[in-house]
Amino acid sequence: MATPEVYVLGGYQTDFARNWTKEKKHFSALMRESVLGGLAACNIDPEEVQSAHVGNFAAELYCMQGHLGAFFTEVHPAFSGLPTSRHEAACASGSIALLAASSEIEAGRYDLQAVVGIEQMKTVSASEGGAFLGTAAWYAEEADGIEFPFPKLFGRLGDEYDKRYGLKDEHLAEISKVNYANAKLNPNAQTRTWYMNKEHALCRTDDNPAVGGRIRIADCSQVTDGAVTVFLASRAFAEKYARRQGIDLSEIPRIKGWGHNTARLRFSDKVLESRDDRFVLPHVRSTITSAMKRAGIGDVNGIDGIETHDCFTTSEYMAIDHFGITEPGESWKAVEEGWLEIDGKHPINPSGGLIGAGHPVGATGVRQLLDGYLQVTGRAGDYQVEGARNFQTLNIGGSGTTSCSFIIGV
Amino acid sequence: MSSAKEARKLLASRAIERVVVLGANGTMGYGSAALFTQAVPHVTFLARTKDKADEGLAAAIAQVRSPTVASRAETGDYERDLEAAVGRADLVFEALTEDFAIKKDMFDRVEKARRDDSIVATVTSGLSIDALCEGRGDSFRRNFLGLHFFNPPNVITGTELIAGRDTDPAVVDFVEAFSRLRLGREIVRTADTPAFAGNRVGFKVLNEAAQLAERLGPVLVDRLVGPYTGRALTPLATIDLVGWDIHRAIVDNVFENTNDEAHATLELPASMARLMAKGVLGDKSGGGFFKRDGKARLALDLAKGDYVPVGDVKLPDLGYIDDVAALYAQGRYAEGIQVFLEAEGDEAEIARKVIAGYVSYAFHRAGEVTETITGIDLIMGAGFNWAPPSVLVDTMGPESAVRLIEGAGLPVPEAISKAAASGEPRRFFEHPVINVGKYFVAG
Repeated sequence: MATPEVYVLGGYQTDFARNWTKEKKHFSALMRESVLGGLAACNIDPEEVQSAHVGNFAAELYCMQGHLGAFFTEVHPAFSGLPTSRHEAACASGSIALLAASSEIEAGRYDLQAVVGIEQMKTVSASEGGAFLGTAAWYAEEADGIEFPFPKLFGRLGDEYDKRYGLKDEHLAEISKVNYANAKLNPNAQTRTWYMNKEHALCRTDDNPAVGGRIRIADCSQVTDGAVTVFLASRAFAEKYARRQGIDLSEIPRIKGWGHNTARLRFSDKVLESRDDRFVLPHVRSTITSAMKRAGIGDVNGIDGIETHDCFTTSEYMAIDHFGITEPGESWKAVEEGWLEIDGKHPINPSGGLIGAGHPVGATGVRQLLDGYLQVTGRAGDYQVEGARNFQTLNIGGSGTTSCSFIIGV
Repeated sequence: MSSAKEARKLLASRAIERVVVLGANGTMGYGSAALFTQAVPHVTFLARTKDKADEGLAAAIAQVRSPTVASRAETGDYERDLEAAVGRADLVFEALTEDFAIKKDMFDRVEKARRDDSIVATVTSGLSIDALCEGRGDSFRRNFLGLHFFNPPNVITGTELIAGRDTDPAVVDFVEAFSRLRLGREIVRTADTPAFAGNRVGFKVLNEAAQLAERLGPVLVDRLVGPYTGRALTPLATIDLVGWDIHRAIVDNVFENTNDEAHATLELPASMARLMAKGVLGDKSGGGFFKRDGKARLALDLAKGDYVPVGDVKLPDLGYIDDVAALYAQGRYAEGIQVFLEAEGDEAEIARKVIAGYVSYAFHRAGEVTETITGIDLIMGAGFNWAPPSVLVDTMGPESAVRLIEGAGLPVPEAISKAAASGEPRRFFEHPVINVGKYFVAG
C-alpha cells in the first residue's frame, strides 16, 4: 500500500530581524503571532486544527520555560484540549516536529496538524548563548569551558575538507556573500540591512574577527528570535481545502520525500568513521539521497532549489558536494561557476539561509519547509527561483549529528 | 510594484558601475554613499574640500563598520574633481544641505558635466522635484528624480521615490528595481507634494507632540504617545534625534505650502523657536527635550528653558499604559488597544486625540501624497517604524476607529466609516509578509 500523502497548506514566519526582548515580549507572544499569522495566511479556522507539534531546542535555558507543547493551547480558546507535544534535536528540532506531524498524518490519526518551530535567543549575552548552544554537542567532551564551541567544531569541518581535498577561504567568503545578498531580497531576513560585500566577507581584520579557527563572524549564522508555523494536511483535508480555496488539489504542494539520520555525537568520531568514505559526513549524504529516493527523484538535477543548513559557511560548503552538485571535495567549482545564486543552475538558500535569513534554532527546519512551500507555489517574492516545482531542505542538529531533509513539490 | 522577474529584467537593462555622491560629508551623504558601496564598484565621495570628503568616507566606514567601503570609494572636491567624476557617473546622487539655491547652483554644474544617459537623484526630504529641475534641458528633466532615504539609510529601509512631471517612467522603474534588489529598499512611490508622504504624516504627529509638550511637559507627552501607541522611539526623543533644525525645516515647509484640515498642528511651537535661537538643536547640540548628564536623563522645562531630572517630574496615574503593555507582552494586541481606547482620564483622552489625528490625517492624505493608503502605511512602517495607520484601524476594528476619531472631534475618513458600515474591506493592511505585531511595543 502506498504511503498516504502529506500536503503542506502554507504558513507564516515572524520577522527574524525582531528582538522580542527589546519589544519586551514573552515567548508566548512569539508563538501566538506565528500561529495566528499562519491561520490568517492559510485561511484556516482554529477549530479545524486537530493536533500541534512544537519544535524547540532550549527554551528551558533561554527563557526558563519548558512544556512548550502546552503553550500552543494558550494561542486560541479553540486549542484547549488538543493533543500537543514538543520535539528536540538541537538545530534540527523543527524538522523533527515536522517528521512527527507528518507521520501522524500518514498513520491516519489526524487530518490537520499545526507545526510550530520556535526559539527566543536574544534573552542572554552572546557568550552565554554560545554555551547553551554547546549542549547540542557532547557538552562535557566538546564544549565545557570552551567559548563559542560551535564555530570551532565547524571550523574543524573546514579543516577536514582542507586536509582531504584542499579548501580556500575565498570560496567560503563567496558563500557568505551570496547568502547576505539573497537576504536583502527577503523581507523577513534578519540581516537584510546589514553591510556585506565579498571584500568584507574576506576581510581579516577586527571588523570580521575570528571566532573559531578559520571561522570568522561573516562565516556564521545569527543569534535570532523567531517562530514559524506551517500546516500539514491529509489528502482528505487537502481536497476539502482546495475546493474552498477555489484551487486544484494538484496546486497544493506535498512532502514528496524525507530523510532522517543520526550520526555519533562527537565530531572526531564522525570524521573517524568517514575516513575511507568519499563524503566527509556520509550520514548527511544518506539523509539527502533517501529523501530523493522516496520522492522518486534521481539526483540533484531533479531539484529546482535547496534550503540548506548553513550554520557556518563550511556547512554549506559541505552540503554542496553532499547534495551531489559536484563530486566530493569539489564544492568550490559550484561556487566559482555561480551555480548557487538565485538564477544559477543549483540555487542554494534563496532566502539567505541561516547566515542571511537568521537561525532561531528550533524554528529553522520549519522555516526551510515554509520557504520551500513559497518557492514551489511562486510566492517567494524577490527571492523567487523562477519556475521552481521541487525544493529540498537540509536541516542539521549538532556537528552533523541529526540530519533531516524534506522534498516539497507540486 | 513589478514582479521579481520583471524587476530582475529591468535591473539587467542597464549598469550602475559608478556613483557620485555630492555632499558626501553630510549625514545623508555618507550614509547613502556607504549604502551604494554594497552594490556598486566605484563610489565617489565629493564635498567642498577633499578633507571633508575624506571625513565623509571615515564616517561611512564607521557607520557600517566595514573598512571595505574604502576599497570601493574615491574622494575629491567640487573645485577640481566634480566635472570629471560626474562625467563618468551612471548615477549622480545629490545630498547637499536642504537649501533650494545651493542645490540649484550644484545642478547647473551637474547638468553641464553629466552624460546624457546618466541618472540624477536628489535625497531631498521635501523640496519640489519639479521646481529643482525647472528650466533645465530635456535630458536632465527626463533623468531626474527624488530618492528619499531616511536616516540612517543603512538601518532604515523605507525609501520614497518621487518622479517629476517630466521624469522618464522607464528611469523611475529602473531606479525602483535597482533600489529594491540591490540596495534592499522598501520603495514607496509618492507624489511631488511638500515633504512627500512619510514626513508629511510623521512630522504632523511629531509637531503635535511638541505643541503638547509646551502645556504638559516632555516627560508626560512621551509617556502618553509612547511605545504602546505603536512606535519604538517616543516622539520628542525622535525630534531630538532628527534635530530641531531639521524638524523646523520640514514643518515650516508643510505649514507654508499646504492648507489642510490639520493645518494648526503643523505650526512650530513658539518655545521651540525661542530655544533654537539660543542654540538648542536636540542631540547634536547636547540636548533638546531631553538630555543626558552622565547617567542621569534630564527633561526640558520649555517655559524656563532649564532641565530637571526625569525622575523628579510628577506624573498622573497612567496605570492603563501598564495594562496595555502587559497584554502586548503576551501578543494580545487587539485586547491591549481596547484597554487604551476605553481608558478613563484626561491623559488617555489626550493620547487618543494624537493617535486619532494620525489615523485621520493619514487616511485623508491617501490619493494626495500616495495613490492609496497602502503607500502611507508602508512608509510609516519602514521609514518611521511606527504602526501604520491601517494597522491601527485593523487592530482596533473600523467601528472603534470611527468612535476614536469622532471622540477626538476630528474628521472621520470616508474609507473607515464605509468599512465600519459595510464590513469591507475586512482589512486595510493586506501584506503577505510584514509582521504587524512588531509595531506594538510592550512599554
